[in-house]
Amino acid sequence: MNELKRTQLYDAHLTAGATMVDFGGWEMPIQYPEGIVAEHLFTRHSCSLFDVSHMGRLRVEGPDAVAFLQHVLTSNVLALDLNQAQYCIIPAEDGSAVDDAYLYRFYQDWYLLVVNAANTEKDLAHLLPISKAFDVKITNISADYASIAVQGPKSRDLLTILSGGEAVTEPVKNALNILPLEGHEAWIAKTGYTGEPLGYEVFIKAEDARWLWDRLLELGAKPAGLGARDTLRLEAGMPLYGHEMGLDAEGKPMPIFAVSLARFAVSFSENKGNYIGRKPLEKQAAANRRILNRDFAPDALSALPRRIRPITLLDRGVMRAGMPVYKGEKLVGFVTSGTMVPYYVTEGEGLSTEILETTGKRAIGMAYLDSDLLDFDEVMVDIRGKRVKAGIPPYHMRVDAPPFARPILYDKLAVAEPAKSEGDNSGKAVSLLFAAVENHLWRQRCCINLIPSENTPSKAVQLLCASDPSFRYAEHKKIKSFYDADVFYYQGTKFIDRVEQLLVQEMRRYFGCTEVETRVISGQMSNMAVFSALMDWKNRLDRKNTPARLGYVLNNHIIKGGHLSAQPMGALHDYIAVDPVTERSAVVNFPVCKDNMFKIDVEETKKVIAEYRPELIIFGKSMVLHKEPVAEIRKFVDEQAIPTTIMYDMAHVLGLIGDSFQKPFEEGAEIVTGSTHKTFFGPQRGVIGTNWTKDDLKYGLWNTIETRAFPGSVSNHHLGTQLGLLMAAYEMNQFKDEYQKAIIHNAKHFAKALKAQGLDVKGDPSIDYTETHQVIVGVGYGAGPEIAERLEKNNIIVNYQAIPDEEGFTASGALRMGMSEMTRFGFGDAEFDRLAELMAACILENKDISKEVCALRGEHLDMKYCFSGAEFDQALSKLSALIEK
Amino acid sequence: MTINPDLQYTKSHEWIRMDGDIAVIGISDFAQDALGDLVFVNLPEIGDNVTAGESFGDVESVKAVSDLISPVTGTVCEINEELLDAPEMLNNDPYGAWIIKVNNIDGAEDLLDPAAYEEHCASEA
Repeated sequence: MNELKRTQLYDAHLTAGATMVDFGGWEMPIQYPEGIVAEHLFTRHSCSLFDVSHMGRLRVEGPDAVAFLQHVLTSNVLALDLNQAQYCIIPAEDGSAVDDAYLYRFYQDWYLLVVNAANTEKDLAHLLPISKAFDVKITNISADYASIAVQGPKSRDLLTILSGGEAVTEPVKNALNILPLEGHEAWIAKTGYTGEPLGYEVFIKAEDARWLWDRLLELGAKPAGLGARDTLRLEAGMPLYGHEMGLDAEGKPMPIFAVSLARFAVSFSENKGNYIGRKPLEKQAAANRRILNRDFAPDALSALPRRIRPITLLDRGVMRAGMPVYKGEKLVGFVTSGTMVPYYVTEGEGLSTEILETTGKRAIGMAYLDSDLLDFDEVMVDIRGKRVKAGIPPYHMRVDAPPFARPILYDKLAVAEPAKSEGDNSGKAVSLLFAAVENHLWRQRCCINLIPSENTPSKAVQLLCASDPSFRYAEHKKIKSFYDADVFYYQGTKFIDRVEQLLVQEMRRYFGCTEVETRVISGQMSNMAVFSALMDWKNRLDRKNTPARLGYVLNNHIIKGGHLSAQPMGALHDYIAVDPVTERSAVVNFPVCKDNMFKIDVEETKKVIAEYRPELIIFGKSMVLHKEPVAEIRKFVDEQAIPTTIMYDMAHVLGLIGDSFQKPFEEGAEIVTGSTHKTFFGPQRGVIGTNWTKDDLKYGLWNTIETRAFPGSVSNHHLGTQLGLLMAAYEMNQFKDEYQKAIIHNAKHFAKALKAQGLDVKGDPSIDYTETHQVIVGVGYGAGPEIAERLEKNNIIVNYQAIPDEEGFTASGALRMGMSEMTRFGFGDAEFDRLAELMAACILENKDISKEVCALRGEHLDMKYCFSGAEFDQALSKLSALIEK
Repeated sequence: MTINPDLQYTKSHEWIRMDGDIAVIGISDFAQDALGDLVFVNLPEIGDNVTAGESFGDVESVKAVSDLISPVTGTVCEINEELLDAPEMLNNDPYGAWIIKVNNIDGAEDLLDPAAYEEHCASEA
C-alpha cells in the first residue's frame, strides 16, 4: 500500500483505529472500531465527521471562467450567485457522465469545482485540453486544502460553537459562508453526501485540518468512514459515479438523465450555448418528459431505455451491485448499489412522531431499470441464483422535516383503503354537536389564545354572519353604459347591495384611500386578485401574445418572516416569471439587518432595487416585529424614477392602521391588501384598497383589480361574513385609537415581562422588542413544536415558528404570539404579567399551569371595543332569537 | 481478538466443536471482526447435505458477502434461526452464536488447534 496517497488527516484515522483501504488510489478509512452500522446511526441522530480531503479541488478562474464552465458542465453557471453552490455533471459528448461534481462560489471572481477522488486525473485530462480554447486557468488546489464533511442534526450546533455564535450559513441547502472558526479561516458549504438536512462541508487550510477534526471530536462528533458514507448516500438516493453514472452492468454508457437529479443539474439555458453533450441531453430530457407522463412508446424509450430507481427487498436477503432484476421472466435491469441499511424505529404520527432508540434494518438499493416500470411495481432480484421479491418505492428517505432525515419504509407507503359507509348518521350528528359545544367552551372560556392571525369577533359580528344573507348570492358588476353603476344578476339583493356600499365606504374611511374591493373572501385571494390584475394590466396593450408574467418582484423571504401569500409557492405562483438567466422565479428578497434579522435593511434594499428594478414591491410579513420602511422606499424609487408598484400586504397588521403603527397610503403604498380577522375585528375575509383617482394612469389597474376579484376570483362572495364585516368596520372606526394603542402597549409589556421571567425574547430591546401585536420567544433549536404542544395542554394556544436562521417549520425554535384576541378580552399589564409568569413556569420548569390559565381566562369573558347600550342590546337579542328559532 | 481454547478451526475462519457425533459450526472472532457489522445470514435448510471445504451459506456485512465454508461433510440437522433476525449475534458473541449443526458426518477438512489457528491469523493480519 506504499504507493497510495494519504490525506492531511491520515494520522487522525490511525489514532482513531480506522480500518484503512485503497479507495481510488487513496488510503482511506472504510470504518472505525464502532463499525458502519453505528456510524450510520450516529450520523442520523447526532453528528459525524467524514474526511473528504481525497476529493479533487479545482480552482477555476480567468476572464472566460464562466464561459468555460458553461461549456464543460451541465449546470447553469450564471445562476450561481456569490455564496451559493450547485450540483453539476461533467458531460461527455454522447450525453453520458465523465463525472459528477459540485461547483462552489465562495468568491466573486473564481469558482471551486470539487470532483470525485478517483476521477480527478481523468477529469483534468478531459478539462485541460478543452480549457486551451478559453482564457481560463485551472489549478488543482487539492493539496492546499482539506475537506471535512460535518453531517447530522447536531452539526449546526457544533459549528456554531466554533464560530462563536455566528450563523454558520444561511439556513438553506447549498448556501456558503466564509467564517473564522476559533480564528482559523474556513469555507463552509451547506452541502453533503448523507442526505442530512443539517450538514456542512468545511474546506480548511491543510495545516488547520487536524485542529478542526480534533476540535469537533472534542465537542462530541464521531468519525465515520467510507462505508457509512456509502450506506448514508444510498439511503438518501444520491448517485455514486461508477454505480449510478458511467458504464452500466453491460458496459454501456448510462445517459445522464437516467439519474433523476439530472433534472436539476442539467440546464438548457440559451446562455450555455452549444455545450458538450447538449444535443443528446436534449433528446434525453424530451424522452424523460414523455416517460414521466407514462408515454412508453419505443421512440420515447430509445434515448432513455433505463433509469436509476430506488429498490427495496420485500423478502429476506441483501442485494448487491450487478445483480440482475426480473419482472416475471423478463430481465428489466441491474442493481447498481445495494446493501442493508439501519434506521431508527419511530412511534406516533405526524409532527408528534417520536424517534426511538430501537433500530431496524432494511435491504435497499438503487437499480438501473427499464423506463416503463412504475413506482410500486413488483420485481425480483436474482441474488446468487435465488429470486427475491422487491418493490420500487418513490424514495427511501425524506428530508422535508428537519432537523432529522426521515427513513421511509416501503410498507408504510401502501395506499389506504377507501372508507366504508356506515349507514345511519343521527348518532354522529348528536356527537358532532356535543363536540362543537365542548370545543367552543374550551376555546372561548378556558384558553388563552395568542395566535397572532386570530381574533374573536364580537357577538354582533358573529350573529350577523349567521343571518340570512349567508345563504344567498349577489353577483354584480359595474357597467360603463350606466356610468359604472353596479348591475346585479339576481333579485332579492337590495339589502346586501346597500351593505356592500356601506362596507366599501367604511373601509375607505379606515384605510384613508379612494377605492376598496371587499368581495375577496381571504387575504390570500386578495393577493391573487392583485397579482392577476397586475399581470393583466402589464399585458393590456398586447392581447395577441401569451401574457408575460411579473418579474422582478421584491418581497420578504419566507424564512425572514415573509407572508406565504406573497411567495412564489403561495399566491404569486401563477403570476411570477422565470428569469431566463438564472432559470429561477424572478423574485428577489428584502435584505435584512445583520444585527436584527427581523428588520429590513433600507440601504441594502436600495441597492437591490437599483440592480433589479422590480416592477412590484411587496411589503408585509407574517412574522412581524417592525414597521415596514414604506416611506423610505417610496422616496427612493421616486427619486430614481424607477417604475414600480408598491403594495403592502397588511394581512397581519390590517387592524393596526393608524397613528400607533403605520398609515400605508400616506407613506406611499399604492395597493394595500389584508385579511380582516387577525388584528382587524372581522370575520375571515380579505380586502383590497388602492389610492388612485380617476385621472391617474393606474386607475385602469384598479378597474382590473375589480374584475379580477369578480368574476376573476369569486362568484359567490360569502354574503353572511360580508354583513358581519360591516359591523366589524363600524367597531374598528369607532374604537381603533384606543384598541391599537392598547395592543401595541400590551405587546411591548408582555415582551418585557417574558424577558424578566428569563425567556429568550427575540427582537430589539431598545424598542421593547416589538412595534406590532407580535412577540417572538426563542425556546431552543427544534423545540418549538414540542413547547407549543405543551402550552396547548396547559390551555395556552400559540404557534411554533421558525426564526430567520432556522431551516423550516419542523426545525423551528421559537413561538410566535399575538396580543389581538386577549387585548380584546380586556387583558392589560396585570394579566400579561401573570401570563408571562405562568408561561415561564411551563416552558422553563415544565410545570402544570392548566388550572391557573383557565382561571385567568375565566375572569375575562367580556369583549371590549364593541358596541353596547340598551337599544343595541335589544336589537341584538332580536337577531339572536330569530337565528335560534 | 480472542481464540476459544476449546474449539478447533479452519483456515477459512470457521470454528467447530463436536457435541457427541454432532458437529456444531460457527465463525471465529477474527472472522467477524474482519467482516464488520453483519446484517444478514443465508442459512441452508435442515436435511441439506454439506461438503467439507465447500460453501454451506453466506454472511453479509454492510460492505460485502462472504461464503461460509463447511469444515465437515454431513447432513444439516439444526440451524440457528435466531440469526435470521439478529445476525449481529455473530459480531457480539462469535463463539456463543453457532450457525449450523451437522450429523451423519463423513469426512472433514484439516482442522487447526487453537495454537495453530492463532499462528494462521497472525500470518493473515
